[in-house]
Amino acid sequence: MPFEYLPIMAQHAAPKPPRVLAAPSKPAWCGLSKPARESRIALLSSAALRLVDQAPFIPREDLSYRRLPVDPGGGAIVIDHHSGIGQVPRQDPEIVFPRTVLAKLAAQGIIGALSPFHFSFMGGVRRHEEIENTLAPALTRELQQAGVDLALLVPY
Amino acid sequence: MIEGQGIPTLVIGTAHDIMTQVTPPRAAFVDHPVGRTFGPPHERARHELVLTKALAELEQFARPGEIRDLKINWSPDGSRAWEDELRAELLRDR
Repeated sequence: MPFEYLPIMAQHAAPKPPRVLAAPSKPAWCGLSKPARESRIALLSSAALRLVDQAPFIPREDLSYRRLPVDPGGGAIVIDHHSGIGQVPRQDPEIVFPRTVLAKLAAQGIIGALSPFHFSFMGGVRRHEEIENTLAPALTRELQQAGVDLALLVPY
Repeated sequence: MIEGQGIPTLVIGTAHDIMTQVTPPRAAFVDHPVGRTFGPPHERARHELVLTKALAELEQFARPGEIRDLKINWSPDGSRAWEDELRAELLRDR
């Protein structure tokens, strides 16, 4: 049986009520236009990742995002997310942001191509309306401009 | 929201109960601790296994909100001992 996170979140939030998880009333669905081996792919991480020389995210309600280089040699990744789980991923951000392996799969032709950038933002933000009206459309525009065929989202 | 604008998405996540509630269009479940989605630090072979298995599932999704289990355990022997450590980690910054 999978580990249950919701009871831990409730315990963590107490005595406040637990965080409300926002879900669409009807999940969106868009069929794949092409297989992975022909797709341009971007990673999206909610770990609040950035390069050392990029502006830090400001916990806990930051609604900005960062473009991240897809080249594994494109600069060390910093994790700004405030979660208590950060100690291990800070040893190797690839465990939540596998850009090295994704680049390898692109070089091998297992995926079609890499997006010009990957993207990251702060997960766990409670400003759902602004996420829906501001952050998500901005990220969508980035993905459209990049010609991305498939977005891989890695929650943190 | 991204999916609604015509870009297919795949969530690769460790929290089955949360994914069940937030119903992303496509979700691949990895039975790893949160914050180690692709495996232990510096174990590139495990990271690649998780990513390739997730990508291999892509064309199997038949309906929105489906969660497909990649059937990858954190411990090779299937031990759940990691859960106690994770619980403590998650509550550390209370």
